Amino acid sequence: MKAFVIQKALVVFPGVKNPVQKDVLVEDGIIRQIADSINVPKGVETLDASGKILLPGLCDPHVHLREPGREDSETIQSGSEAAIAGGYTQILAMPNTDPPIDTGGMVTYVQSMAQQRSRIPVSVAGCLTRGRQGDKLAEIADMAAQGAVMMTDCNHALQDEYVLRRALEYTKHFDVVVGVYPDTPALSGEGVMHEGKVSFQLGLQGIPAMAEEIAIERELRVARAVGGRIHIQNVSTGEGVASIRRFKSEGLDVTAETTPHHLLLNHHHLEGYHTRFKMMPPLRTEEDQAALLKGVKDGTLDMIATGHAPHTDFEKNFDFAHAPFGVTGLETALPALYTNLIKTGKLSWSELIKAMSEASRTLLKLDSISFAEGVAFEAILFDPTASNTISRETFQSRSFNSPWLGETLNGKVVQVFMGSDTLL
Amino acid sequence: MSLSETVEVRKDLLTIDALSREEIIQILDTAQPFKELFTRSVKKVPTLRGKTVLNLFYEPSTRTRTSFEIAAKRLSADVTNFAVSTSSVVKGESILDTIDTLQAMQVDYMIVRHPASGVPEYIARNTHAAVINAGDGHHAHPTQALLDAFTFREVYPNMERKRIVVAGDILHSRVARSVFQVMNLLGVEIATFGPATLVPDTVPSYVTRLSSFEEVLEFDPHVLYLLRLQLERQKANFFPSMREYHNLYGVTIERFKLLRERGTWIMHPGPVNRGVELVDDVMTYSRCLINQQVENGIATRMAVLYHLTPEEQKRLPLPAEIRS
Repeated sequence: MKAFVIQKALVVFPGVKNPVQKDVLVEDGIIRQIADSINVPKGVETLDASGKILLPGLCDPHVHLREPGREDSETIQSGSEAAIAGGYTQILAMPNTDPPIDTGGMVTYVQSMAQQRSRIPVSVAGCLTRGRQGDKLAEIADMAAQGAVMMTDCNHALQDEYVLRRALEYTKHFDVVVGVYPDTPALSGEGVMHEGKVSFQLGLQGIPAMAEEIAIERELRVARAVGGRIHIQNVSTGEGVASIRRFKSEGLDVTAETTPHHLLLNHHHLEGYHTRFKMMPPLRTEEDQAALLKGVKDGTLDMIATGHAPHTDFEKNFDFAHAPFGVTGLETALPALYTNLIKTGKLSWSELIKAMSEASRTLLKLDSISFAEGVAFEAILFDPTASNTISRETFQSRSFNSPWLGETLNGKVVQVFMGSDTLL
Repeated sequence: MSLSETVEVRKDLLTIDALSREEIIQILDTAQPFKELFTRSVKKVPTLRGKTVLNLFYEPSTRTRTSFEIAAKRLSADVTNFAVSTSSVVKGESILDTIDTLQAMQVDYMIVRHPASGVPEYIARNTHAAVINAGDGHHAHPTQALLDAFTFREVYPNMERKRIVVAGDILHSRVARSVFQVMNLLGVEIATFGPATLVPDTVPSYVTRLSSFEEVLEFDPHVLYLLRLQLERQKANFFPSMREYHNLYGVTIERFKLLRERGTWIMHPGPVNRGVELVDDVMTYSRCLINQQVENGIATRMAVLYHLTPEEQKRLPLPAEIRS
């Protein structure tokens, strides 16, 4: 029997705005007691967590693990270790691998690789269309039967609304969610950053906000007309948030996510042409940032997902126009959000765990993590006073394309508990 | 501390907006004696003797490259041309690999032309050499803007409150962006004239947007600056035809008469598309400054090379066997 007491932790309970100081007794991976103060039984270890935050393990519903195909930038092992270092105990692997995850067999393959190489559970998403080509539906039922929880073509747009319509209709029998990336390729074209004053000044081709706004509006209208479960990925525009809010208020069953980057950064960060800020959708304006935060707080945007997209130095060292889109996020999300939003009082801890654990677990058809007696212990301990300088040496990820590279953030994940195992 | 010690030493010229008004005037003032040199039988000074200047062109441009080459040679520098095709870059060698190679060759000045915005800045961060942006994507072409300011100043020694209209494809023009900045810093009032598809509302707030030739006449510019129109823009639906573009936004025969009556000066960064931006007659007009711009380009680029200071190179140690 393995038992320990975490003493004086500031525990974040769902729905309770501020953390509450508690002692937690864990025995064989199960919470046996939570109380203001616990008398430590003989032979039971103690862990002083004074001043540290105890919160449910985080869950990221948008991670590119790159395996199989691009193991030079990330693997299931390195990506899941990056997740643990960032406080995640559950992730959803995106299907844009090479070959893509577009058959039941590929779903099984990635799941079995994850079982061998990842210390946390990895859920798998399958492609909506064969080879992510946007035209012919992939074998959705077969992938769902093997356990795929979401069908998405990632950042490849569907050929047209007809394909989306059939996909939403077809998936209704299989309890899977259709993930869509909101973009209108005819408008985003060859653009590489948000279209506006900064793109003009930098002489870079712009991606207008309307490319996303129109897509969200179009996708939600199709979903309202034919039913099915739709999830909007990577929302970056304030108008996009407004559309989702309106459709939700009319009763549409839709979920949506944004990213830590879009909440915390904007197009001005591209002024030095640093490719570590190049992502799709692009960083938008200060007004969009404010609207996204409002969306997270009022629940319009259900979750914050990192969209963790590792790329090698070689690729990211291309000129800005040719470097690939995408940034990593697993290891920086929590400290970046803590530093910029929680510490400044703009977001509460309970709002954070709702967006980074509860809602994303629900999307993945998993129970929320609760802190109650008799429940399996799946939690992380975050030290808000730790100084956290983001450097190449600190990453578990194989890639370093983080917008926070070189920055010093506040706070660090110091322990990750998964049942009776201590992962960090 | 003497005044000269307080003047910041500049390594690179990447954009105009990195410069102050005083620094721009200093460069233009330096270009003046260099230009006077051209009338002598020996057009050369020893200023950069023993220095290596490298033309690193990722995009073909005979005019600009030659202008820099002559400028560097008139300063007695050794000049090498290094042409790279971007397709091979994307496939194999990264820009950084190329720069590391050139760095090892102890180049003092790199003149960089690249089809993608931001590359000269990226190169400048990664080399000891002084980097001059010779045009990057749609972003900046600072030496063009400086030579344009020099040319403008020859005609109007006091540029304050003079007026310029920059006509054509602003959206895709690095020349326009840099010309706006230099003219604004020197007190010139700026307007643009071109199809609404090519003059976005994201232009700097100090630029007036004109929508008809009548408005151009009303603005009454001292200089009409015509931009070269890339012919492929028509395919992307920025305007329906060359004919319509010329009739609406070009200098037609009729419009040329009106401009000549007013004595409006004409500038163009070259090469011109005859029958698109302007009609043939403009080329022989006494107030057409296109050839002066080319000549002034050499003097201005000499002044820029003179103005910049490469960082101290960190020499690699000699192998032990050949060390004395």
